[in-house]
Amino acid sequence: MMRAEPWQSAEVCGPTKAQSIKKTAVVGALLKKAKHPLMVIGAQALTEKTRKKPMIDYCIELSTAGNIPIVATANTIKAFKEKGFDNAYSYGAMEITGRLQDHDWMVAPKKGPHDLVITYGYPYYMEWLMLSALINFSQHIKTVTIGRYYQPHATWSFPNLKKQNWNDALKEILTTVGGAK
Amino acid sequence: MKVEFALTEQKRARLKADKLDTGFGSFRNVEVTIGKVVDDDWDEPMGPTPMPDVTTLRSWDHKLLTRYRPAYMPACQLCCLCTFGKCDLTSGKRGACGLDIEGQSARIVLAAANIGCAAHLAHSRHMVDHMIHEFGPRFELTQGEGVEIEAPVARLVTGIRPRTLEDASAILDYCETQLTHTLSAVHTGQEGSWIDFESKAFHVGMIDQVGMEIADLAQISTLGFPQSDPEAPLVEAGIASMDPKKAMILAIGHNVVPATYIMDYASETGVTENIDIAGICCTAFDITRYDAKAKIVGPISWQLRFVRAGFADVIVVDEQCIRTDILDHAKKVNSPVIATCDKSAMGLPDRTDDDTDEIVKDLVSGKTPGVYLTDHAKIGEVVVKTAIKMHPKRKKKGSLPSKAKIQELAQACRQCSECIRACPNDQPVMDAVLAAQEGNLGPLADVYDECIGCARCESACPNDYELHSWMVKAAEGRWKQESFMVRSGRGAIKDTEIRTVGQPIVFGEIPGVIAHVGCANYPDGGRAIHDHAEEFAKRRFIVVFSGCAAMTVGTIKDEEGKSIYERRPGTFDAGSVLNVGSCVSNSHIAGAAIKIASIFAKRNLRGNYEEIADYIHNRVGAVGISWGAMSQKAASIAAGFWRLGVPVIVGPHGTKYRRMLLGRADKAEDWMVWDARTGKRVQVAAGPEHLFYAVENFEELMVLTAKLAIRPNDTAKGRAIKLSHYIDLHETYNGYFPEDVHSYIRRETDIPITLKDKIHAQMKENKWKEKPIPDPTLVRRLVYGGNGGGE
Repeated sequence: MMRAEPWQSAEVCGPTKAQSIKKTAVVGALLKKAKHPLMVIGAQALTEKTRKKPMIDYCIELSTAGNIPIVATANTIKAFKEKGFDNAYSYGAMEITGRLQDHDWMVAPKKGPHDLVITYGYPYYMEWLMLSALINFSQHIKTVTIGRYYQPHATWSFPNLKKQNWNDALKEILTTVGGAK
Repeated sequence: MKVEFALTEQKRARLKADKLDTGFGSFRNVEVTIGKVVDDDWDEPMGPTPMPDVTTLRSWDHKLLTRYRPAYMPACQLCCLCTFGKCDLTSGKRGACGLDIEGQSARIVLAAANIGCAAHLAHSRHMVDHMIHEFGPRFELTQGEGVEIEAPVARLVTGIRPRTLEDASAILDYCETQLTHTLSAVHTGQEGSWIDFESKAFHVGMIDQVGMEIADLAQISTLGFPQSDPEAPLVEAGIASMDPKKAMILAIGHNVVPATYIMDYASETGVTENIDIAGICCTAFDITRYDAKAKIVGPISWQLRFVRAGFADVIVVDEQCIRTDILDHAKKVNSPVIATCDKSAMGLPDRTDDDTDEIVKDLVSGKTPGVYLTDHAKIGEVVVKTAIKMHPKRKKKGSLPSKAKIQELAQACRQCSECIRACPNDQPVMDAVLAAQEGNLGPLADVYDECIGCARCESACPNDYELHSWMVKAAEGRWKQESFMVRSGRGAIKDTEIRTVGQPIVFGEIPGVIAHVGCANYPDGGRAIHDHAEEFAKRRFIVVFSGCAAMTVGTIKDEEGKSIYERRPGTFDAGSVLNVGSCVSNSHIAGAAIKIASIFAKRNLRGNYEEIADYIHNRVGAVGISWGAMSQKAASIAAGFWRLGVPVIVGPHGTKYRRMLLGRADKAEDWMVWDARTGKRVQVAAGPEHLFYAVENFEELMVLTAKLAIRPNDTAKGRAIKLSHYIDLHETYNGYFPEDVHSYIRRETDIPITLKDKIHAQMKENKWKEKPIPDPTLVRRLVYGGNGGGE
């Protein structure tokens, strides 16, 4: 399945739709261009895997390779801490969605204001709404979602992907930022 | 001749005489009601805002909304409400009427709150009018012994203490006027400001609390419900508690009146032993409050499974939370449907004026699948007679397919994923169907455990599979054993209970009051709210339930088979878990907070909303939780708590309310209060940090609940206790010592003794300085002796 349409059937969006990531180099280019990118990672990172690797490990690799700070929401922070990863900050998903609407806000001194946000790890409808907030009220920020399913409120999103295609795409992104082994 | 004359605030003057001789003649039992007049024999002075109109409390709302700024997450960036539209409001564009996306988002919030309030208020109006018809306008209202402040919300808002049904009706007149005004503001070309839409949502939320309180007060007073009874009976619940040998009457909805006539008719005709009457949703609780032998099937989400399993010989629907397609499902299992409320006539013929036996005959023969009846006495007779006749006749009980049939049908699955894409919770329905192809129904049973019973998967399936029925069949072994005990609704909190706990709550030594309200309609919702309640009760919080959450929590049993209600007392005290009753009973939770201000702090309630809300916001560590909130009623209930300054947490799909009320702990200027003693402006810690928040998962709920119980007025001991809980839960679920503890330390004495070293280190690192502990208020006029001259 490679359709750029909402994964949950009824979650149709407004006039603005995310551009579909057809080439992962786009994400690399966005990251290269961004001055202060940020990853916002939810609790599904604790349970979902890519190529048998927990997504939390993938997030750490991507963060490390791209020098991107992570906001870990809910109890996701615990796993980052347990893995000795120290570039993660704790906020609630709703809190960070609110904070990112403040054009001056930054996750840590000299690490913002943020101009690119990568999201992953939420129930589909929740991420859909978080991205809706950002598209409407954080026009200074571009958003990229790296989940398997198309999120129309992002600036860039994968179309709905089969698991294997998604695994491949994630690997390519990591390679693009110099993180793949 | 006996003559009574009564005058009441904002009510009518009434002259009642056994016999009256006039120039026109002599009359007996004369009752004359004249206009609206002022005053009564209540000596509490009237506060500044009796019967506030839509903008009377606006400045209070704006204070809250400035601190807790709405964060909108629009579900739709279009407006389709007028013929200028559709209008694209994306990213700052304005519609043809001039409204932008913030205004439109706030308008949706107000629309939802209006709808929710209307549902409760219409219920309340029906209840009061019906009871006046039955018992007369002078019937006295009561909450039972130990309750002198019997309607704290109504007193606070309207300045009236309702003592009779007629008083209740006058209060509803006021509420209905306010609802009309707030509803009108949603119209195109009216309000345009997000903050004033929000203020109106707060207003209608407040009105909703009054309407709910009046509804419950009326039914408690007239129907013999438990009256503020901590030992309200434990009642049977769950499918296994039904007796298949008896005719089964299922009542669905929120308005108990029709069901009381059914129970009365059964009792009067001596057939009580031949029928089981059970309820789904709030009517379930209220029938057990009327008669503890009635049974509870379960919450709203169990409608479909119960109906399809074929238990009901008759289905009676009243109002709210009814599946709107219930008639279609009932037809498949030969269960006649009796619609009893004008809100949900279900397209059925109105047979109110027909002969009872003719109606029964048509229902039993299947000539009509259901009827709409408005005469309560007739409803009682028709339902009981029909159930008794249908019971032996209904050979096909249930529309569940056999396991072999499921396996056979599953072979044709197209693997299109539409069932998953339709599921609000992304359950692996298709994988379960594929497993069923091999005869393995285990995964379908597992989906059943997480299913909220919406059946959207079925609507989406191109093969028209009745997937919900498949799940129910697969899990048959589980639900057939489903039996648990819940405590029937106790009603209000006694004044005497408030006297015991008022001080420790305000000082923070009882760390908080947790109110689980509304639905727990979320995967594993019963487990989540049970574990949450148990954990916080162990920590000496007071845990209060109402509505469907109150029955869902009972589904979880310990090793001895006991539900939380069997393990914990029903008093309003530390470590207790109590059930106030149905949805309208949750007004008693707000009432308890209000009574703390009155009884413990001796503040006047009467028409004094702002002062009492300010008191509660700064002092009473109450937190509302609605884990599976889904309705507009939940929105208006939450709005009522927001205006009182009480934070509300919703579960993950509460994000779909599309607006949070978020504080900014990092902005010191947002957390300034007046010190009522000195008149100085004082910065306090961010407590409660947020006013409306959707958590991502159970773990976040646990940490946030403890944090949101913090209040500026906590004593040192209370603050230390609250911080201990926050730190402990944060370490448990987030895995480390929270980094913001220092911001909650005002003086050394606030530090939990066992955590001194860690906290001292954090204080040092953050260059902590001692802070004053004010007598906090957001309202300048409440500074003692004047207007805050010490600024």
